Amino acid sequence: MSLLKKSPLVMITSFAFFIIYLPILIIMLFSVNSAEKDYSFDSFSLKWYVEMFEDPQLFEAITNTLMIAFLSTLIATIVGTFTAIGIHSLSKKNRTNMMILNNIPVINPDIVSGISLMLVFSLLPISFGMNTMLLAHIFFSIPFVVLTVLPKLKELDPNLYDAALDLGCSRFQAIYKVIIPSIKMGMIAGALIAFTMSIDDFVISYFTSGQGFQNVSIWIYSRIGRKSFSKGVYAYNTLVVFVTVGMLLLSSRIGKRHLIRKEER
Amino acid sequence: MRRLRIITLPYLVWMVVLVLVPTLLILLLSVTNLDIYNIGPFSFVTEGFEELTKPLVITAMKNSVRLSLLATLICFLIGYPTAYFLANLKTSKKTMLITLFILPVWSNMLLRIIAWETLFFPNSILNMFGISLNLIGTDVAILIGMTSMYLPFMTLPLYSVLEKMDHSLIEASKDLGASNMQTFLKVTLPLSLSGVVSGVIMTLLPSMTAFALPERLSGGKTLLIGNIIEDYFMKTSNINGGAMISIALMVVIIVLFMVVVHFDKEGETLI
Repeated sequence: MSLLKKSPLVMITSFAFFIIYLPILIIMLFSVNSAEKDYSFDSFSLKWYVEMFEDPQLFEAITNTLMIAFLSTLIATIVGTFTAIGIHSLSKKNRTNMMILNNIPVINPDIVSGISLMLVFSLLPISFGMNTMLLAHIFFSIPFVVLTVLPKLKELDPNLYDAALDLGCSRFQAIYKVIIPSIKMGMIAGALIAFTMSIDDFVISYFTSGQGFQNVSIWIYSRIGRKSFSKGVYAYNTLVVFVTVGMLLLSSRIGKRHLIRKEER
Repeated sequence: MRRLRIITLPYLVWMVVLVLVPTLLILLLSVTNLDIYNIGPFSFVTEGFEELTKPLVITAMKNSVRLSLLATLICFLIGYPTAYFLANLKTSKKTMLITLFILPVWSNMLLRIIAWETLFFPNSILNMFGISLNLIGTDVAILIGMTSMYLPFMTLPLYSVLEKMDHSLIEASKDLGASNMQTFLKVTLPLSLSGVVSGVIMTLLPSMTAFALPERLSGGKTLLIGNIIEDYFMKTSNINGGAMISIALMVVIIVLFMVVVHFDKEGETLI
């Protein structure tokens, strides 16, 4: 392709990056802006990074968010992996049906999932709060783990598992020692998606948390345009962006090393 | 491996309880006066149907359809060339760039909406560059916001099908005398159809049901169907009306879901 032919594509792609990154850059700018108001930039300041820890309600919302994200990711990754192994062993027709069921929460708009969960939880003998939010996050995370693990299982030689059993492994050992190591990359990808879905979820959390238990998104929604909206949340979001970028760079380096080692064999 | 099938049983039960049961519950709530928080005797009512003829609700539905279709079209027009460009880059570069493209999704959506909101007021940080926008309350503001939020959802499925596409087909088409345009319309586009379907639906549904985004970027002026549902369930406790509108919405969702399943049975283009 000549550069001239390419240039409209380059322009559109650049515009696409611009329109999705602009709000993030604006948030970063606000996070180091000493001004109280968002319409002027006074001077560079890190005070909101301190404020983040000093506003008790914001700090509690941040710890709630991280706690829910870690717990739901851990549980969803384990449950999702085993479920994917189960789905993989089904007959083709049942597998397709299970995958259709699995993909309902992925496609369903958050507001429908949120209301659905809220109604079911109000029937169950559990009170709204951390538990219901955690269950909801596990609910929307598992399908993503299944979707990332299943393709890895398809690449796996189906005889490996039976061979492990023939050689004296128990069923659990065969899964743990043979299947899990081969699908590790799918599990990591699934866990990453689950974590990032959980950490910035608003709609489903909003409908399933009841009063009292807030994550960062609910904290934001209940304070937009009010005095109690602390700009510490801009600092928090900026830190999250940097940590995710760092994690990605790290994982791509590990991934590359993995590739190189494979090629050396 | 057959003995592993039993593992799917708990998941099946879990999904039935959390997907099927609430769907039936919403259906029941839409035609009865059942009090979900205090279960007791209930009777059938028809007030729910009246909701669907209220001018406010009809306007919200029209707004939802108009804005989500426009946002999806814009996202497609930007997302397809972007996905095409990224998918045809060298391996090392494209993985990095597509990851960077999805990254903003992982930053808090409400904050990104607030960031746009501040820019759309006449008095904004853009004044530093001599720019002053006055867009709050316009469709343009909502469409820019939706494009910014949902463009990655459109681009990712497109990228994943375009990336797997066999390049020799395109060369074959050109060797056989097709122009670039013909090759695109007759080879590339049809082969990427499953990605187009997933991308369109992954953009259409969230923009149709958004409620925080239109609330902020329209200054509360433009109501979408999501705003009505949130209001009924969370603020005015009109569960019967909210359930009826949700059912109307679910009919649309089920049709769209069936289209996705038709093109992509196992959801390979969804992530």
